[in-house]
Amino acid sequence: MSLRCALLAWALFTLLRHGVAQKDSDCCGPIVPRREWRGLASNCDRKLSLPKSYVVVSHTAGSPCDTPDSCLKQVQNVQNFHKGTLGWCDVAYNFLIGEDGLVYEGRGWDIQGAHAGGGWNSKSIGISFMGNYMDRAPPQRALRAAQSLLACGVARGALSPNYEVKGHRDVQDTLSPGDRLYDIIQTWPHYQD
Amino acid sequence: MRKAKLWGLLGMLFVSELQAAAGQAEEKKILTEGETLNYHCVYTRKHSQSQKAWQRVMDGGKAETLAFTEKTSKNSQELGGRYFLEDNTTQGAVHVRMTNVQVSDSGLYRCVIYPILSNPEVLESLRLVVTKGPSASTSRDKNPPRDKAQTPTFPPATKAPVTQPPPKSTAGVSRPGLEVNPTNVTDVTRISVFSIVIPVACALVTKSLVLTVLFAVTQKSFGS
Repeated sequence: MSLRCALLAWALFTLLRHGVAQKDSDCCGPIVPRREWRGLASNCDRKLSLPKSYVVVSHTAGSPCDTPDSCLKQVQNVQNFHKGTLGWCDVAYNFLIGEDGLVYEGRGWDIQGAHAGGGWNSKSIGISFMGNYMDRAPPQRALRAAQSLLACGVARGALSPNYEVKGHRDVQDTLSPGDRLYDIIQTWPHYQD
Repeated sequence: MRKAKLWGLLGMLFVSELQAAAGQAEEKKILTEGETLNYHCVYTRKHSQSQKAWQRVMDGGKAETLAFTEKTSKNSQELGGRYFLEDNTTQGAVHVRMTNVQVSDSGLYRCVIYPILSNPEVLESLRLVVTKGPSASTSRDKNPPRDKAQTPTFPPATKAPVTQPPPKSTAGVSRPGLEVNPTNVTDVTRISVFSIVIPVACALVTKSLVLTVLFAVTQKSFGS
């Protein structure tokens, strides 16, 4: 009896240790992948060496969206602007946040973004809230989605456990992420000016 | 006997926590002797107009300033001629160049705001590892080959032996290491052995200790 229990305990513990030792991606919430929002293929080739110690929060300053359907369209719009009009290799951000409360995969964790200028891009993950947040704040569900994404980054080893959040205006001369959103992120535990 | 197992487990947990704590927040670069270090530190806009400095942090925490940016030109004074700084205020980044790196350059460096306060404002830190000859690997977890400290080419002279980071952490806190004289071939073999055997052995030891404790506990609860 006790031998059987010991074997069961051994099996459980090995699984537990194995699970903890892995990159804990199971802790991550849902992210709408590129294929789902029908993103055009990326031509970017600059990789990010992980983990990164900084997160830069911006806004797109474009139209907001508050349903999965409208946000899907809006991510496509942003990518079309960056790739088509600006001629970049892909949408600038590593991830985008919609007012539908969903996270949209941009360049992802492994590819360098083009969201914060030549110095900061290689050192940070850039997340952007879809909309203009000078005079209004994103809804709670969008803020939650962003926080969940960042926790996921830590769990995956893409972000250092003591990563720092910066507003886009902290690193470049811009209004982004908008006065209201900037006020909010300054209250986040990882924010450092 | 059971008490010993429990204490053993606690000891292992404590050690692994220490390792986790030591391995945070330092970037690491591995170069071969003769190469040039190209690195940049980022800073937020509040520091746009500040001067920056590049320092080496010795064992014990004492820091030595190697270069700092000029007020007007944003480029560095050339203290010693091997260190060049260029502050790009638009990018919010100080670019650092260290030419012809030597094994003795291995250590901890950092960008700080200049003039340097008694409690310096540190922008970023870099763990530099310089290996002799063809690099064995660029993986973060590999150990650099140990070698006698070479005569430094810039003042002040660094007398500390080349330090050996602990094998398991990805960016270890430096500690005075043992001085050994291996050949290059032995170095490569030793690196592979250390980087594979030690992590595996540690994982096995940790797991078996945990299992032993659990076993002991289950034994106890079944009254045997």
